[in-house]
Amino acid sequence: MNTVLNRREFIKKTSAAAMATMGMGAPLAGLLTSCERGKIPSTADSVILLFMAGGMAHTETFDPKKYTPFRKGMESKEVLSTFPSIPTALDGVHFSEGLESIAGVMDKGTLIRSYVAADLGHILHTRHQYHFHTCYEPPQSVVVPHLGSWISKELGPLNPVIPSFINIGQRFSVGEGEELKAFHSAGFLGSEHGPFLIPDPSAGLDSVRPPIGMSTKRFESRNRLYHDLISASSMGEFGSDYQKESLKRSMEQAYILLNSPEAKAFDLSLEPKESYDKYNTGKFGLGCLLAKRLVNQGARYITVTSEYEPFMGWDTHDNGHTRLKDMKKLIDSPIAQLIKDLDQSGKLDRTLVIVASEFSRDMLTEGRPGLKVKDQVEVPDKIDDLKNYGMHRHFTDGCSMLMFGGGIKSGYVYGKTADERPCKSIEKPIKIDRIHQTVYHALGIDPETNYEIEQRPFYTTPDGHGKVEFDLLKS
Amino acid sequence: MQESGFWLWELVGRLHPLIVHFPIALIVVAAVLELFTFGRFNSKIRPGIFMLAAIGAVSALLAAPMGWLLASNEGTSGEILELHKWIGISTAVLSVILLAFLPFGKRELKAFQIKGFRLTLFITAIGVSLAGHFGGALTHGENFLTEVLPQSKDENSIESTPINLATYQEELTPEKEMKLIGEVRMVLAHNCYKCHSGAKIEGDLRLDEKEFVFQGGESGQILIPGKPEESDLVRRINLNKNHDDVMPSKGKLLNAEERELIALWVEKGAPWPDGAAQQSVFRVAELAPRNPSLPPGNSEMKNPIDLWVNEYFQKNKLDWKTVVDDKTYLKRIYLDVNGLLPSPKELEEFENDPNPQKREIWLQKLLNRSDDYATHWLSFWNDALRNDYTGTGYITNGRFAISDWLYTSLRDNKPYNQFVKELLNPTEKSKGFIEGIKWRGTVNASQRTEMQAAQNVGQVILGLNLKCASCHDSFISDWKLDEAYAFANIFADSTLEISRCEVPTGKMAKTEILWEELGSIDSTGSKAEKLRQLANQLVQPANGRMYRTIVNRVWKQMMGRGIVEPVDEMDNEPWSQDLLDWLAFNFVENGYDLKDLIFQIASSKIYQSQSIGYASADEVLADDYQFEGMVQKRLTAEQFSDAVSEIIFPLFSEEEVKYDPYELKSPEVSVPTFARASLVANNPFLTALGRPNREIVSTSRDTQGSLLQALELTNGERLNTVLQKGSEKWLNEVLTPEQITRELYLEALNRSPNEQELAIALKALGEKPNAAQIQDLFWAVILLPEFQVIE
Repeated sequence: MNTVLNRREFIKKTSAAAMATMGMGAPLAGLLTSCERGKIPSTADSVILLFMAGGMAHTETFDPKKYTPFRKGMESKEVLSTFPSIPTALDGVHFSEGLESIAGVMDKGTLIRSYVAADLGHILHTRHQYHFHTCYEPPQSVVVPHLGSWISKELGPLNPVIPSFINIGQRFSVGEGEELKAFHSAGFLGSEHGPFLIPDPSAGLDSVRPPIGMSTKRFESRNRLYHDLISASSMGEFGSDYQKESLKRSMEQAYILLNSPEAKAFDLSLEPKESYDKYNTGKFGLGCLLAKRLVNQGARYITVTSEYEPFMGWDTHDNGHTRLKDMKKLIDSPIAQLIKDLDQSGKLDRTLVIVASEFSRDMLTEGRPGLKVKDQVEVPDKIDDLKNYGMHRHFTDGCSMLMFGGGIKSGYVYGKTADERPCKSIEKPIKIDRIHQTVYHALGIDPETNYEIEQRPFYTTPDGHGKVEFDLLKS
Repeated sequence: MQESGFWLWELVGRLHPLIVHFPIALIVVAAVLELFTFGRFNSKIRPGIFMLAAIGAVSALLAAPMGWLLASNEGTSGEILELHKWIGISTAVLSVILLAFLPFGKRELKAFQIKGFRLTLFITAIGVSLAGHFGGALTHGENFLTEVLPQSKDENSIESTPINLATYQEELTPEKEMKLIGEVRMVLAHNCYKCHSGAKIEGDLRLDEKEFVFQGGESGQILIPGKPEESDLVRRINLNKNHDDVMPSKGKLLNAEERELIALWVEKGAPWPDGAAQQSVFRVAELAPRNPSLPPGNSEMKNPIDLWVNEYFQKNKLDWKTVVDDKTYLKRIYLDVNGLLPSPKELEEFENDPNPQKREIWLQKLLNRSDDYATHWLSFWNDALRNDYTGTGYITNGRFAISDWLYTSLRDNKPYNQFVKELLNPTEKSKGFIEGIKWRGTVNASQRTEMQAAQNVGQVILGLNLKCASCHDSFISDWKLDEAYAFANIFADSTLEISRCEVPTGKMAKTEILWEELGSIDSTGSKAEKLRQLANQLVQPANGRMYRTIVNRVWKQMMGRGIVEPVDEMDNEPWSQDLLDWLAFNFVENGYDLKDLIFQIASSKIYQSQSIGYASADEVLADDYQFEGMVQKRLTAEQFSDAVSEIIFPLFSEEEVKYDPYELKSPEVSVPTFARASLVANNPFLTALGRPNREIVSTSRDTQGSLLQALELTNGERLNTVLQKGSEKWLNEVLTPEQITRELYLEALNRSPNEQELAIALKALGEKPNAAQIQDLFWAVILLPEFQVIE
């Protein structure tokens, strides 16, 4: 017992040492901040999450395995990857064919190959997305805030006229739209931290300009009329109250936003054609472009999603191989371009860009090895039709994720999956609470951040247990 | 150790309690017997009385000095001792006088002597009883007598008593030890349990049980009895906020009183008597109903609510505010009862109504508009019962709507006990509430549908938070995991296995209602049988808590703030226990009639008085909140939408209506001219204005403006389209600019514009206004805080 310094004694000793250093004229401020609780030096100001909604197969994208070309009558169990591998900017690290541009910028970030998604019984997209974005397994007894809402609440907007949590690309009129709404919410943090929704990035401007058909001049005079009428009336008979004040204040904010020069950031038509074309692979690509423009104007947190719609996008229940060609075309150029542009403008240093999906896919394993869950798709033992060639089952035990900028290591590969089926995480498996806590840490948000809701503390990660993965961060 | 005195004196001192029983018994008996001799100075029992009085008086004379010895030997002191001592000495003196009256020998007493004897005897008897009482208080505790009285029995909770450190400075009696540990545990519970209890064990340290506290945590012992200066517990709670070791490391630090209390407790040897665990460290509200007798009324004040409020105002030195004018009152009752604005025509009619009872009459008229009433209150109940037309779960049949049942129950003003019965022991049409939302896949044990039912019934029906206890023993109340499971088990087809923090324990749940006073549930019964029993047991009038919960909710809807807040935490202290209890009791007496309750509130003088605006939401919910009157209320999403639909142009199309009660309407019911917001599927406009996603129970809404909301109102397509269509309609009616302005102000604000407002509006409209100009005036007026907040 006595030989081991307990924590308290240790601190006593170190503070004595610190006192001595101070006497010698060491910088005082540095010592003070390191003692001050809750102050974590941030390495990022903004976050862009590029979300591959629907389940992106790791073996077909950022973690390719043995390639077996299609031939009639081939055995399903042979197939690990349906594309050949290509080299990346990192020695010995390969991507799947079709991701050449991102491969070219991989030296600027970290490739995580061992993300492990949760087991929630059935492997269902919306439930796993809920878990991915909130860090909590649904359902919960309170409305749980989205990652973006936590960040908005803790850090506020970087630029007061750009909403602090922006969600680009998701419509809620699609199948399972109600389930999507369940986690696109600020929950108990209050609606002001909810997502600012831009379902269509090319119509982003509509959300931040005067109503369609209203000239700026009219918009201004309408606002003047409103203010004149407020001043002419009393605040009502029995005086002011906080609700009335908040209404006035929020109307003021909205007016400033809708009338501000920064709102031009939402207007993609102002982007030089050359740059626009590099991004324009479709809605997702334009979402990346909008994210870039908004970050340049001081956005805090943005999700750009490839959009979840059952059986669309990455949700490949058939024709996996063919459809992935298109998906890669959709994402490869804009993601790489986003990284390059942010890097060039110097923004990448303080902007954390994440590319992720709710889970991965495999041809045979549904869920994870050893845990039998209901198969979502029939897979024949022998493949005769091209439509069966691809990763059609949901796989949770090894998913790829990319992180760039904002204090993340450059040119680093984290974790590993097995080269044989099941291609599961075999090194440094990392779960969602660690991912979230690392993002919070980069932003300088205390890992113990919590609010009392219904008398209980509710933390950013369940029970405040999420640990920072320092291995992902530059030291 | 104090030097002890001579043993004999100690022994004699300790005989005090033995000896005192003689005077107590004998003198009191003598006094009682003396009562029977009234009118007969020469009663046959008098010699016996003399004998009793003599022995009693002598023993009283003996007991007094012995008591003195006892007190000085044992070092007892304090207020009660002082009282005991002086009353004891007085009694001894009285005993001497009493002895003097006694007829030793054959002496006959004269009438005046008998009278003197009687008087002295009675005074001595009272004295000896009082001295005896305080003596008892010294040995058995101050509340020894009063604690068994019915009104104080349930106040074992020690929360409300402020910490009085002085009482612990002296030697601790066992009672004081018990009180001290109670207060210490309360400080620990409210500040430390969140991280150091069965629920969450940080640093290997638990503070919720004696054994754990003395065992310490990963850095060893946390306290050394008798040595606060060497105890880590005391050190760490006294550290500076920024210190690495400070505790609590999250949330607010302990206040000075709490810190001193802990230090004192350690100094006194950290006593933790057995039985301390039975003391509640949380405030627990009474379960039973209570019918407090009304304060006296007068000609001006007849509504019992006002009598209670008046008493509260007097006690807190607050003044009544003036009663509001007709237009404000009419607007309030229209919005609170039916969710609609009064039309200018209705307002005029009301203002011109000469009947002095017109407010009650119009209120009743509104309550009688059953469909409008139901349509309005549907939103409140949809939120609370998490019923919606679209939402998570419906896609896979994991959720059932109860709209039809709910609407008809409200329309028919179903008695509340019956309403609850049908929710708990449901038909096909009302089963949605307890069936909850079943998600595909596996879910947390604490979110299985049976536990959802337990949590939601607890929250909505009983004002009780079981969410904490459904995962582990609660650290915010006395509820235990086992109790939450026993309650959830009532909703289960087969017995549930208890899981603690998602880990199955192997222990099977019992089947019990939360309070045994409400009766039991046959654990062998089928689910249907268990639910039938539960429904019957919960709605009985003995369940005062359930009725306090509902009257408090309705009060909040009407008055802007509950008597207890938050409304889901009914163990919290009400600002007026009497008013709350009376409302609940009266509600039961009146046949569980919700409309009657609303009538009662809305016809009260306090409802008719000026409302209060607050500078921040925190003030309204503050612990030291004082009730001064109605709190200003923001229009709900539905009220705002309906007002716009009514005045300007319908906001929602008929296709958006998801529940159409008018399909069933009787011919005499007039169908509203627009789709009411409470009946349409949720949409971004309503969401922005605060209609919740009804995946979880929601009993109060965010009423502050936010940027996202303001954006929706400023450039949202829905509102702008509607304002545009409305302006075209008004344009066709060929009104002058002044007519437009006056009409709009009257419709929206129930008043005429003042000169300045009129001038501003006329300038904006121009001489020949076009649709755009009218549209912009609409917009400016409906966004006025005056329009959006009910005063």
